[in-house]
Amino acid sequence: MHSSDAVREGLIALLPRLRRLARALAGQVADADDLVQVVLERALARSAQWRPDAALDKWVFAIARNAWRDELRARGRAQHLFAPEEAGVTVADGSDARHARQMELAQALAMLPPDHREVVALVLVEGLSYDEAAALLEVPVGTVTSRLARARATLQAHLGNDA
Amino acid sequence: MNPIDDDTLQAYVDGELDATARARVDAALVQDDVLARRVRQARALRAQLRAAFDPVLDEPVPARLSALLQPRAMPAVPLTVVEGGRGANTVRHRASRRWLLPGAALAASVALLAVGLWWHAGNELVRMRNGEPYAAGVLGRALDQSLASEPDAHATVAIGLTFRAANGHICRSFTVRTPPARAGLACHAAAGWALPVLVPVAPPEGGELRQAASGLPPAVQAVIDARLRGEVFDAQQERAARAAGWR
Repeated sequence: MHSSDAVREGLIALLPRLRRLARALAGQVADADDLVQVVLERALARSAQWRPDAALDKWVFAIARNAWRDELRARGRAQHLFAPEEAGVTVADGSDARHARQMELAQALAMLPPDHREVVALVLVEGLSYDEAAALLEVPVGTVTSRLARARATLQAHLGNDA
Repeated sequence: MNPIDDDTLQAYVDGELDATARARVDAALVQDDVLARRVRQARALRAQLRAAFDPVLDEPVPARLSALLQPRAMPAVPLTVVEGGRGANTVRHRASRRWLLPGAALAASVALLAVGLWWHAGNELVRMRNGEPYAAGVLGRALDQSLASEPDAHATVAIGLTFRAANGHICRSFTVRTPPARAGLACHAAAGWALPVLVPVAPPEGGELRQAASGLPPAVQAVIDARLRGEVFDAQQERAARAAGWR
């Protein structure tokens, strides 16, 4: 099979997870799907660079992370800020309390610096291991764990989670 | 015993510790309420993030995104319902012929949106929720009630395959016979039957559209192939799934 066909088929299967990652990175539904579109275009254009022995998901997620960083730079702001009513966590038919809680979460995520937000998206939302996230971000594992710890502290302080 | 440091506690919550280190934390948690509370908080945050973002996995993919992934050439995969001795079995045949140009695939995806909007305005077979199409009216009722093993030649909607998708949700392919004929895939979700794909079907020469004789459009088949894991349901499984409310 030609590598571009393999990438194309892999991307179809990967699309739901890619959209989830993009939502965790970009926040709003429209921004997230714009990001997914850029990622799909880049992945297809670069399909010759993908080696079948490498995991396609990590390869695509790295493209997604870099595309998101490019987008932040293009907007000339290091932090993705939006009004609370725009904070885009899609809420299924839930109660008002659940809706409010998801809004809080979206706002807390929007407060994180990009370094922190991307480890939250990769490890806590997408379920990558520390090693996988470190390889994808091209940083030492210790950097992943320290960013993750600080991100957690920020989120929990903002959300006031009690257990 | 050495105190459990912050890095170790975080690695514990994230499932990054080996068995020995995990056992050490487990033992410490029994004695240390503060530590146990921090673990609960960290787990609650993880759970909250998953609850917020996992539903994205079940959302229908926007047509503009799936259109980018349409292959340049795709095998034609006719769908045939074969009548069996005891109830019908659903069988897929693969043909080797290659067809469908990229332009056609894109056109089909664009048509999907147009069809959705048109239906929304007209027959109410499709209802938009949060900007995504869901089955409504007679289509929704057919997806809820009709069985491929009990085909009704006069029904507006013919059900094709029923299967459990990779994400655990039940999906059913269908054809709407009344003009303008349409084919698509519906996947059961909390909010109803989501429609990840819906495309126009050209009726066969001078005839009424029959599920048994007509192939699913490649755009629909591609969506099925991307989701299908394992076998399609037989008549008994289909009936059981209906009894269980398609969950």
